[in-house]
Amino acid sequence: MKVFFQKKKIVFHSKLNEFSLKNKFSGSISSFLGKVRPYRDKKKINFLEIELYKKMAYFQADKNLKKILSKIQIDDFMIIHRYGKLFPGENIILVLVASQHRKDGLIFTKKSVEWFKKEITFWKKENFQLHSSWVKSEYE
Amino acid sequence: MKILYFAQLKETLGKDQDIIQLKSEISVKELIKELILKGGKYKECFEQMKNLRCAVNCEYITNYNKSLKNKDEIAFFPPVTGG
Repeated sequence: MKVFFQKKKIVFHSKLNEFSLKNKFSGSISSFLGKVRPYRDKKKINFLEIELYKKMAYFQADKNLKKILSKIQIDDFMIIHRYGKLFPGENIILVLVASQHRKDGLIFTKKSVEWFKKEITFWKKENFQLHSSWVKSEYE
Repeated sequence: MKILYFAQLKETLGKDQDIIQLKSEISVKELIKELILKGGKYKECFEQMKNLRCAVNCEYITNYNKSLKNKDEIAFFPPVTGG
């Protein structure tokens, strides 16, 4: 499994460099970096709290990424997602994909990011100046 | 059996899990009835299951007739907001 859930910060350039060196014979490295937004409906977000059901997140990620991988050809990938307390501007998710050709790498990047953004067993709570609220699910 | 609660549900109940010992297999539906019978916040949360999702051993379930054993892990939570 090349998926990691962690509290510590994601240092993009070092992860990219490390991954690129590991896959030096791949023709392309695709990446996606998601960041914490500073506002929701013009209200300033002080910080974000992410709660997760880690065991299910790993289980479901493994199952769904295998499904994506059954249709495309890539050399390697790494996905890091943070949880806990995050501040605006901080990196929240990093997806790196190594492939011989860019097309499959970009497809994997897009599909995996979409799956993580909608389906992973995470719950986000936004903390504003005077109150906090759980982010509403797309499925509610 | 381990029963896990997440997000708003965890906040409302004031706990993230319960451990119960089953004398025999029960269905998810029966477990939910047991939780409602505890009254208080449990009743408030589990009477409105339409706002909750359920997973057994990390797999979503929609068939609440599924039977549960002591070694199972069941989780209740609001719809996920994703990453």
